[in-house]
Amino acid sequence: MSTTRKNVWELGGDWADPILWYARGVKAMKSRALKEPTAWRFYGAIHGFDQQMWQQVGYLGSTDEMPSRADIKTYWQQCQHGSWYFLPWHRGYLIGFEAIIRDAVVQLGGPAGWALPYWNYFKPNQNQLPPAFASPDWPDGSGDNPLYVPQRYGPDNNGHVYVPMDQVDLNALGDPDFIGAGSGGSQGFGGVNTGFSHGGRVHGGVETQPHDNVHGLVGGGDDQTLGLMSWPDLAGLDPIFWLHHANIDRLWEVWLRIPASTGDPTTANWVKGPASVGQRAFVMPMPGGKSWTYTPGDMGDLSKLGYDYDDVTPPSATPQMVARLQRLGVPQAEAIARSNAMAGPKTADTTADKTAELLGANQQSLSLTGAEARTSVTLDTAVRAKVVTSFAAAAGGGAPDRVFLNLENVRGLNDATVFSVYINVPDGDDPASHPELKAGSIALFGVRKATMTVDQQAGDGLTFVLDITHIIDALHVAGNLNVSQLHVRLVPRNPVPESAQVSIGRISVFRQNH
Amino acid sequence: MANTARRPEAWLVVLASIGLGAWSMLALGESELTLPALCSAGTPWGTPPSLPLDLALMLHSPAKLAADWALMVAAMMTPLLVAPLRHVRDRSFVRRRPRATLLFISGYAAVWMIAGVALQAVALAALWAVPAPLPCLGVAAAAASTWQVSPAKQWCLNRCHRQPQLAAFGAAADRDAIVFGLTNGTSCAGACWALMLPMLLVGHAHLWAMIAVTLFVCAERLESPAPLAWRVRGAGKALRIAAAQTRMRLAPQGRLREVLP
Repeated sequence: MSTTRKNVWELGGDWADPILWYARGVKAMKSRALKEPTAWRFYGAIHGFDQQMWQQVGYLGSTDEMPSRADIKTYWQQCQHGSWYFLPWHRGYLIGFEAIIRDAVVQLGGPAGWALPYWNYFKPNQNQLPPAFASPDWPDGSGDNPLYVPQRYGPDNNGHVYVPMDQVDLNALGDPDFIGAGSGGSQGFGGVNTGFSHGGRVHGGVETQPHDNVHGLVGGGDDQTLGLMSWPDLAGLDPIFWLHHANIDRLWEVWLRIPASTGDPTTANWVKGPASVGQRAFVMPMPGGKSWTYTPGDMGDLSKLGYDYDDVTPPSATPQMVARLQRLGVPQAEAIARSNAMAGPKTADTTADKTAELLGANQQSLSLTGAEARTSVTLDTAVRAKVVTSFAAAAGGGAPDRVFLNLENVRGLNDATVFSVYINVPDGDDPASHPELKAGSIALFGVRKATMTVDQQAGDGLTFVLDITHIIDALHVAGNLNVSQLHVRLVPRNPVPESAQVSIGRISVFRQNH
Repeated sequence: MANTARRPEAWLVVLASIGLGAWSMLALGESELTLPALCSAGTPWGTPPSLPLDLALMLHSPAKLAADWALMVAAMMTPLLVAPLRHVRDRSFVRRRPRATLLFISGYAAVWMIAGVALQAVALAALWAVPAPLPCLGVAAAAASTWQVSPAKQWCLNRCHRQPQLAAFGAAADRDAIVFGLTNGTSCAGACWALMLPMLLVGHAHLWAMIAVTLFVCAERLESPAPLAWRVRGAGKALRIAAAQTRMRLAPQGRLREVLP
């Protein structure tokens, strides 16, 4: 029998039974000592741990007894980011956490079939933080609601927590490939090929959006006032983290159901995971003192794991490639047929035949301070001609190039920084009035550690990839692609202080052969 | 299953050919006693212990020493160039890739040639000052061991993993490729110098020492950056790979159904 995860906003009330039982389970976990593997804080540290930050937010005190060195080495600081392991590792993390909450629920007399709800902020009128998480009180008015954390500052840094819909998107679902190239082209739906990656350089498609942005928008704060959700080393301490990640996990299932999607990787390194090449295993504490070791391959089939979601319907919009081919002058019927043909075999790791090539770059690193930063990307004439040629050939049966904006070596000290990127907004215009020119929004989840040479980081910062094919298509269709430069504007959600030291090493544009 | 097998990229083939060519020359050279000059001559196995320094230098001209050192670096370091060169090439215009590759290698090689002068001078001086071989080798091995566990070694290793932003156009792109080569070469020399020094002192076992050091530095480069600390570090990942493969075959992992309540 499957355990079904359901939409938190559609459970029948702000404090519907599954939410109430979740709160009771969280309370039980929070009552356990840090050193216990099934404790709330222990599970949070599995995602990430930073002694100084934990002390700053009051989650580590002088009387806390740390777990054994063996437990820390086995379990803590495992989260996979900037990696093709991002989705499978977090799926296992959810399953382990859910098992522990369910165990506590059952011990308290609750339902054995309790399942973690998910928060689908994309559904109309469901982008507000679910009320049970926003109230410091239990439904009876008594205080100490374990689902509430004060260190959740929201997108406007005023404690009102919601997900602004202009800051998130589902564009990643349109990427047919799970694996990204990491060389300037698509970062893939699931991420780039890495080893064990507790903080990789290039975030994958669904990791960048909506994952990173929801973290930064919900957590808010800055490098002094730490919002738990904004920082990888604190995020697992916020009860809403788990509902957010259940939604990300659900989106994996949604993606698999999109006809153009090529499916999960089948290469041995992904299937068998980093332990197969001598790196750390993915392992979770489970109820009853047990532990569970899993591989990405174990996570691929959700139904075999005994789980499903109440809604995995793909977006009903016209498939991206169909819309694209139509933009480039291909009749609808032919566009549909060609889109299906391009989808390729469902079991292929299809990045092998895709190559990316630098098309242009700005001249020097860019500091992001205040309300906006601007730069210009100079295009190489010869490479631009290749793009134009591929576009022109699309009408005759060719596969048009895709074009990607890269924000390379992004450094900074505040993970809660969120900003949008626009291309060619006319001078004097408000970028927000040009959604058609928006390349995307980015949150710098994990940037501080990527900037400092700590843990597994070399200090190069993060690199983000945004698909700007739609903008280049529009330029081409309007006959305006014959330009030497693209003008890029970075617009932060909130003004960025100088103390955040946010900079982008290089902004570049790459073409990818389909 | 996926077809991730791609034809090897041409630049990788060239790089591998250079490395293999250098190894072949060294291997062939050993039979003719033309290994890197210092190594075959500057030790008790190949040289009278009381050979004066000026005579040693006369027998082994700086040009010969430099040529042999370059051959050694080409053989040992080419595997370490794959990751930084991939970064250089990925982030450069296609038409500039050969140029950027050469510029990076020029910077990298320049650092190693300078390091070679210093290391060979130290080795020659050591052999001249302490004719007895074992104390000389022992001191070098002790220095290598100390450096190996030091935070400074980790600092160098971490910097070996750096992938900086690179300008795309014109002179700035050339400058960045050279500077990246220089900085990567400096980090690499900083990480490896202490391993190279005893290798210069082992005499006729030199080729085997080279192979061992090459395997070791390639294996330790597989490790991720880590915090600076005094710590035993080495080729653990290669060993962990073998151990993990064995463990996975001997003990199947726990299944989810067995651990759920």
